[in-house]
Amino acid sequence: MPASDQPDGGSKSSRDAITLAPTDNVAVALRDLDGEVRVAAGTQIRSLRLISLIPMGHKFALCAIGCGKPIMKYGECIGVATVDIEQGEHVHVHNIKSMRGKPRGLG
Amino acid sequence: MNAMTFLGFPRAKGRAGIRNALLVLGINGLVAPSARRIARNLPGCYLVATPYGRGQLGLDKDMHTAQLVGLGSHPNAGATLIVGADRPTAESVADAIVARSDKEVAVLTLDDVHEDALLLAERSIRVGGALARSISARRRCPVSVSELFVGIECGHSDATSGIASNPLAGAVADRLVDCGASVVIGETLEWLGAEHVLARRAADATVSAGIVEAVEQRERSVAATGVDLLYNNPGYENVRGGLSSIEEKSLGAVAKAGSRPIRSVLRFAAPPACSGLHVMDGPGFSPESLTGFAAAGAQLMLFTTGAGNSFCSLLAPTIKISANRAAVQALIDQIDFDASALLDGEGPSELADRLLARVVDTASGTLTWGEVLAESDECFARFGGSF
Repeated sequence: MPASDQPDGGSKSSRDAITLAPTDNVAVALRDLDGEVRVAAGTQIRSLRLISLIPMGHKFALCAIGCGKPIMKYGECIGVATVDIEQGEHVHVHNIKSMRGKPRGLG
Repeated sequence: MNAMTFLGFPRAKGRAGIRNALLVLGINGLVAPSARRIARNLPGCYLVATPYGRGQLGLDKDMHTAQLVGLGSHPNAGATLIVGADRPTAESVADAIVARSDKEVAVLTLDDVHEDALLLAERSIRVGGALARSISARRRCPVSVSELFVGIECGHSDATSGIASNPLAGAVADRLVDCGASVVIGETLEWLGAEHVLARRAADATVSAGIVEAVEQRERSVAATGVDLLYNNPGYENVRGGLSSIEEKSLGAVAKAGSRPIRSVLRFAAPPACSGLHVMDGPGFSPESLTGFAAAGAQLMLFTTGAGNSFCSLLAPTIKISANRAAVQALIDQIDFDASALLDGEGPSELADRLLARVVDTASGTLTWGEVLAESDECFARFGGSF
């Protein structure tokens, strides 16, 4: 659960990770991250504890995401969880799969 | 918002120009060397010379003509000097340019000089020189921002593109559309995986179907060559950078279009029939993609990059944007707009306002690095081989 909610003061390096839309359940690391991080979601900043190292540009779960549930980024489904994912866990090719089928015309 | 203006050059027909140079337009590869010789002697002109122009049939020929007419009609050209091989083709292109833009056009061809390339150059320099002098009397005056048509492109994207610079470009696209201006994105295969999301934002069912069909058609063409677009896509570098699926990659790419309704799917190089946001069915290769936007009438481009991409449109001043701090610092005289503050905590809305102000500033005459360094070109897309 978030340790605190506070409005974003806009100061330099006031956030470690961002979401791209209000319904996102993952955030993207703005630099290599570890431990307690500040996530900017809209105008709010919330704190969260990571359970893995997250490289810059990579995603982590903002809440528990059950196996088969959609990963939401940009307000859209970018894949589904292939296992139960914990809050603060690294979300990437090892635990999500794309929903995009093969293009028509290819077997 | 509605009162926002830039200082531009009103044109007889169509949108105002944000620049006012003579365009030397070589319409056949046979006279490209002559066009270059002419342009060398008219400093300050735009030179666009196709390497093609004969031995083309069907769609390939029609699209080549569409690009010539579109570029020849461009709002940033104060006048166009057409340099051609045979007079009938040159006059046909000239007529189409005049019909579309009422632009002042002069035509010189090898037919007029008994195939003497040196004489062609000499006559063209004199005629072009008179045109350049005449258009220099035009002055900038306040023009509504609604007359802007901005093309948005990405190239050499990295982990910062989908989370910072593309959403930033999209926020500016929204502001432009809300002012009554026009915006276009292209690179059809970059919609792959996000096409149903784009289709949902279409203004009507026809546009929606058109978006999906444009992607499917390109997929089929690629599959016919034996290539699987979804194999190793996202690729190794993408995955290392954090992209987990094709949906995520494409959503990051189309973020540069913003959130407003999509009014139409434009055929390559075709001008939009109304203002607002449009998507153009075209290649991902930036030189061709940008020429498609310019031929459609886009006066200015926003070009997001990650690690860097030097290419700019020749006719449309191109604002290069990156949120990759290292690239921005290393390429300080090639990247026009530093978006890395988004990663440090600057509010996205404030940064979008700043970029919009830069768009207006550029439209009003401030040069981009691409213009200062002439790091630019127009590249004619082919739709078939020569016969």
